[in-house]
Amino acid sequence: MIDRNLTIGWLYPELMGTYGDRGNIITLRRRCKWRNIDFRTKVLDIGFEPKEMLECDLLFMGGAQDRQQKIVAEDLKDKVGTFSQIIRDEIPGLYICGAYQFLGKYYKEADGTVIPGLGIIDIYTENPNTDRMIGDIAIIPRIDTLSDFIFVGFENHGGRTTLGKNVKPFGNVLSGFGNNGNDKTEGAIYKNSICTYLHGPVLPKNPELADYLIKTALEKKYKKTVNLEHLDDTLEKTARTVIAQRLGVKV
Amino acid sequence: MNSLLIILGKILSFFSKKTNLGGGSTWPGHIALIINNNFIQNIFEKSQTEIILIAGTNGKTTTSKMIRTILERNNRTVFQNKSGANLLNGIASSLIIKANFYGKVKKDFAIFEVDENTLPLILKIIKPGYIVLLNLFRDQLDRYGEIDYIVQNWNTALKTLDAKTTLILNADDPAIAFLNKDTKAKVKYFGLNDVRVSTRKPQYSADSVFCPNCHSKLNFRMIFFSHLGDWKCSNCNLKRPRLDIGSSKTYPLSGIYNRYNTNAAFLTCKTIGIDNKNINEGLAHFKPAFGRQELINFNGKKIQICLAKNPTSFNETLRTINHLHGKNLLIIINDHIPDGTDVSWIWDINIEKQIKDEHNVTISGTRAYDMGLRIKYGKFSPNLSVEPDLSKAILNALEKISPDETLYILPTYSAMLEVRKILTGREIL
Repeated sequence: MIDRNLTIGWLYPELMGTYGDRGNIITLRRRCKWRNIDFRTKVLDIGFEPKEMLECDLLFMGGAQDRQQKIVAEDLKDKVGTFSQIIRDEIPGLYICGAYQFLGKYYKEADGTVIPGLGIIDIYTENPNTDRMIGDIAIIPRIDTLSDFIFVGFENHGGRTTLGKNVKPFGNVLSGFGNNGNDKTEGAIYKNSICTYLHGPVLPKNPELADYLIKTALEKKYKKTVNLEHLDDTLEKTARTVIAQRLGVKV
Repeated sequence: MNSLLIILGKILSFFSKKTNLGGGSTWPGHIALIINNNFIQNIFEKSQTEIILIAGTNGKTTTSKMIRTILERNNRTVFQNKSGANLLNGIASSLIIKANFYGKVKKDFAIFEVDENTLPLILKIIKPGYIVLLNLFRDQLDRYGEIDYIVQNWNTALKTLDAKTTLILNADDPAIAFLNKDTKAKVKYFGLNDVRVSTRKPQYSADSVFCPNCHSKLNFRMIFFSHLGDWKCSNCNLKRPRLDIGSSKTYPLSGIYNRYNTNAAFLTCKTIGIDNKNINEGLAHFKPAFGRQELINFNGKKIQICLAKNPTSFNETLRTINHLHGKNLLIIINDHIPDGTDVSWIWDINIEKQIKDEHNVTISGTRAYDMGLRIKYGKFSPNLSVEPDLSKAILNALEKISPDETLYILPTYSAMLEVRKILTGREIL
């Protein structure tokens, strides 16, 4: 396939990007470039027009501090309809931590304040004001084509997320906390949107997930099966193995 | 009571130093504080010592050492807490070592570097003469929490001060400058004014680009690095305060960040009452603190160690090395508790701009492969090798350089201690 291109919509890079999350954009960009896929980044910052989202083949949003999250919530008010539509139309996306919580029904702060979410996915998050869940984490992804791999990342969240009955988790926790520290689930998958607490950032050490997003976006865009060119991921896999071994997880 | 604790503490630190048990720098103080909650204030109530506190993400150790050098050159006696021992127990330990058996310290000044979370705690106990607040960048979010949270706590703590304290604030850091908001302490400002070393665009990962008052996006007339510069809010009109100092005659260390440290030290000493000429004379005698652009000769080769512990210090260190045409880097990323266990921050380093094809990069540390990936996914393809074993990595890196070149080592905090031990302790290799 020649002349392939992808446009990624990067939601609020400055406001929602506390934990090195831009590493995910860097990873997608390089992996596309190495395969001669033209990769364009469209920044969707405060005041963007809802229709700008429609030009995107892939969406990304990272985590943030509480104050930033309030500013973003305000800005997204008039875009909820378009945003929901895009997600229901199976435009792939990666939503990390704060962004993940955002897509749910609500986030209840430690002091009881309830911040309504976009309500796109049937999940809710509550912060019981106990210890934050911090540390390395390893999961088995619940995506059929990826279930042979183990993904690793670093989680750091105060909120505990509960999934609705029909929501599929992104993965099963092998070591670490995941959504709530209890039910061994991590993140959520809805249509082609992947929601996760994995920072690290998640994509550099889990290149299969990066490629899954690229492939899904290309297939959606060009409406045909896409086989991505193989890349040498020795360094990526070594980095992952080091963390998995530390956690006592066999790769 | 305190006399007993001091005697006990002195014995403890003596033995822990001898036996090398945990360096012995904090636990005598820890024990003293458990037995007497008021250990620190009791000592200062008895002593005539003026206290200077230094806080902020980057530059504490260098700024403290500059102030100390200037004060000592001007015949003031000074003592400090040990670098890195910047919690209450570290401060208490330094008092145990310096206090006499009557629980009294006979020094003119105490300079304490304090950790972000310790500043509010120490202000509950003592009222310092001077508080130098340098900057706030993203650093170890897993440990310190988010910047907004730190600012809130600092604001609450500074409210309790009166005009006996002078705050020396970085006017160029919006969040720091706005700490004058609720306090009755006197306030003085340092910053930078040299347009030649400025840009107009905030760098990615800049933290405080929003107005600390109304949260609108700030405009910058000049940016020196990250979010430090001449800022103004077009919504509420809050702007950078007028500077009491914007440049110094002598900058003893390279790097823009060290200009801030120098100006902070200059303003502090000037406020204390030392005249410009004597401050400059003091600065001329300044020698870098360990691991902060420290030069080491090893097997006939030149090595410079530049602590790089968060995106901002990393970016600025790389920028400085590039100015000096340095080509050979050894980057050591650890994820022990003093470094922060979350190394996501390495993705906020501006590798794309700072590391080019002509660089030789060796990477080591407990997170060597993560850093390897960061470089691999950069824009250029430097000569890259990843070696988690530090001793081997040092040898590999040194092999690549010729006698007239310098190897620049960029370690995180615990890596800096390890690398110094190897290079100066001659233990391994």
